[in-house]
Amino acid sequence: MQNERWLLPEGIDEILPPRAWELEQLRRDLLDLFHSWGYEFVIPPFVEFLESLLTGTGGDLDLQTFKLTDQVSGRLMGVRADIAPQAARIDAHRLREDTPSRLCYLGTVLHTRSDGFAGSRSPLQIGAELYGHGGVESDLEILRLMIQTLDLVGVRGVSLDLGHVGIFRSLAGQAGLDSSQESALFDALQRKAVPEIEELVAAWRLTPEQALMFEALAELNGDDALAQAGERLLAAGDDVHQALAYLRRVADGLREWMPEVPVHFDLAELRGYHFHTGTVFAAFVPDIGKEIARGGRYDGIGRAFGRARPATGFSADLKILMQAGSAGERDRDPAPKILAPWSEEPSLQHRVMELRGQGMRVIPALPGQHGAAREMGCDHELRWINGKWQLTPV
Amino acid sequence: MEFNTPVTIALSKGRIYKQSLPLLEYAGIVPRDDPETSRKLILETSQRNVKLVIIRATDVPTYVQYGAADLGVAGKDVLLEHGGGGLYEPLDLRIARCRMMVAGVPGANLEADRLRVATKYVRTAQSYFAAQGKQVEIIKLYGSMELAPLVGLADLIVDLVESGNTLKANGLVPLQHICDISSRLIVNKAAWKMKHLVVSGLLEAFREAAQSS
Repeated sequence: MQNERWLLPEGIDEILPPRAWELEQLRRDLLDLFHSWGYEFVIPPFVEFLESLLTGTGGDLDLQTFKLTDQVSGRLMGVRADIAPQAARIDAHRLREDTPSRLCYLGTVLHTRSDGFAGSRSPLQIGAELYGHGGVESDLEILRLMIQTLDLVGVRGVSLDLGHVGIFRSLAGQAGLDSSQESALFDALQRKAVPEIEELVAAWRLTPEQALMFEALAELNGDDALAQAGERLLAAGDDVHQALAYLRRVADGLREWMPEVPVHFDLAELRGYHFHTGTVFAAFVPDIGKEIARGGRYDGIGRAFGRARPATGFSADLKILMQAGSAGERDRDPAPKILAPWSEEPSLQHRVMELRGQGMRVIPALPGQHGAAREMGCDHELRWINGKWQLTPV
Repeated sequence: MEFNTPVTIALSKGRIYKQSLPLLEYAGIVPRDDPETSRKLILETSQRNVKLVIIRATDVPTYVQYGAADLGVAGKDVLLEHGGGGLYEPLDLRIARCRMMVAGVPGANLEADRLRVATKYVRTAQSYFAAQGKQVEIIKLYGSMELAPLVGLADLIVDLVESGNTLKANGLVPLQHICDISSRLIVNKAAWKMKHLVVSGLLEAFREAAQSS
C-alpha cells in the first residue's frame, strides 16, 4: 500500500467545485422557500448532552449516535444523528409559545452506520417542523411543503407513501402483546414477511380474528388499501378506525391540493415507529431504491422538556436531493470569470472593484504565476485598450 | 399478466434458478438463454420488459436492497445473514428447501464451555447459541465445513443439510435443528411502491404457482 493519508473515513464525503457551489445555491433557494412559508430558521448545536439529544426518540437513534465525553462536565455528549428532536427541544423549552410555531433547519448530522443508498454517514439534513397543531391540516401543510421542496430541487415523478403507526400500535395493544412480541412482529411487518407473521401469531395463540388482522396489515398496501382496510380491520378497536378516518382525510386533502402526485398507502410501513405517533409518509422517485424524503407526526416528544406539543414535520438529505434532482445541473447563468493583469495602477483597481460590484468574478494574475487566462478557467480578460480597461473574450 | 414497466429479477445459479423456472413460466416469463451454458449475466426473457440477472446467492439481497434489481429469489439462510433490512420478503416460494442444522461427530459434547463452531452462517449461529444462553466461538469459513470437526478446527458446525449425505460421508451426524430453510421472494421497497401493479401481479402469480406445486 502506498501513502493512504488522503483517505476519508467510510461514508464521509466532501463536495468539490462546481457541485459545492450548486449545493449552496440550492440551500439558499430552499431556505428562501421555507422562509416564504413562515418557517423560522434555527441552528441547533452540532453536539449536545446525550440525554437531551435522545429524549423520547427510542433505541434506533441511540445506536446511530456517536458519543464522546465532555471534559468540562464529565457528562456524555452525542453528535446529533437527527436534527428534528433538537428542533422539538427548542420549541418546547426555548420558545415556549402557545401559538403554532414553524421551524426549519439545515445541517450536517453524523451516523455511526450508514443506512443510506450511497452509504453516507454524514447526510446534510434539511427539514421543516410544525408544532402546536394536532390535526390533518398541519400534516397537509408539511406534505405540501415537502412536495414543493422536491419540486424546487427538480425532482420529477415523485410518488407519496402514506401510513399511520397508530394502527399497528392499537392492534398490538388490543391483542395484549408484550414489548418483545411487539418488536418481533414489528420487525416482520417491516419486511412484509407474511410467512413469519403467520408463524408468530400462531405461536402466540392469538384469536383467529386478531391473527387475520395482523396478516392483513402486511397486505394492506397500494392505491386501494384504505378502501379495503375498513373491511379487513373491521374487528379492530375504535382507535384503528379513527386512524383510518384520519388517513382518509389526509388523502382527500392531498387529492384536492396536489391531484398530480400519486399516493400509495401502506399500513405496515412503520418507519420511525418509536418516535412517530400518527401519520408517517415518504417520497419515492423512480430509479432510486429508497425514499428521498420522509416525515410524520410525533406528538408529545416535548413532554420530557416540560411541554408536550403536537408536532409534525419532514426532512431529507440535501446531498441525495441534489443527486435525484436536476436543479444542480440547471444553468444558473454563471457570472463571467475575468482575469485581470497584475498592477497597482489605481484605475485598474477601481475597474476591478466596479466589475466585482456588478456580480462578476475577477481574479488578479499573480506575478510569475503558472498558466494564463484559459488555464485559469477564465472566459474574459481585462486589457488596457484605447485608454480604458476593457473586457475582451478569451 | 402484462408488464408495462421494466422489471429486473435477481436469481442465483443452480438449484434456485432451476426451481424458479416453473414459477416464472407460470407468470409468463421464459428466459431466452440458459445461464449454465451462456456466460451472459443479464438474460432477456420472452417478456420484453422483464430481465433476469444471474448473480451469487449471497449477493441477491444486496442487489435488491439497493434497487439494482426490483425483485429477487433468495434463500432464508442468506436473508438471515443479510439481516433483511431495506427489503420486503412477502412470500415463501417453498423451493430449494433444506434445514439449518448443528452437526458434529456422533456423541459430541454440546454442553462444553466455549464450544468452537465453524460456519458460513455467522449471524444465524451466533443468535441460535445466544438464545440458548451459550457463549460460543464462531469460526467463519467459506466452504467445506464438514472438514472442520475432523481436523480439530472446531467442535461443531452449523450448516445447511439437505439429504445428510455429505455429513454421513464424513462421519458426522446432525445434532440439532435450528430452522427450516426455503427460498423467499424478495422485493425492493421503492419498486414495491413505484411499480406496485406489476410487483403485486407477480406476487400473486408466484403465490398461486407455489401453492399448486
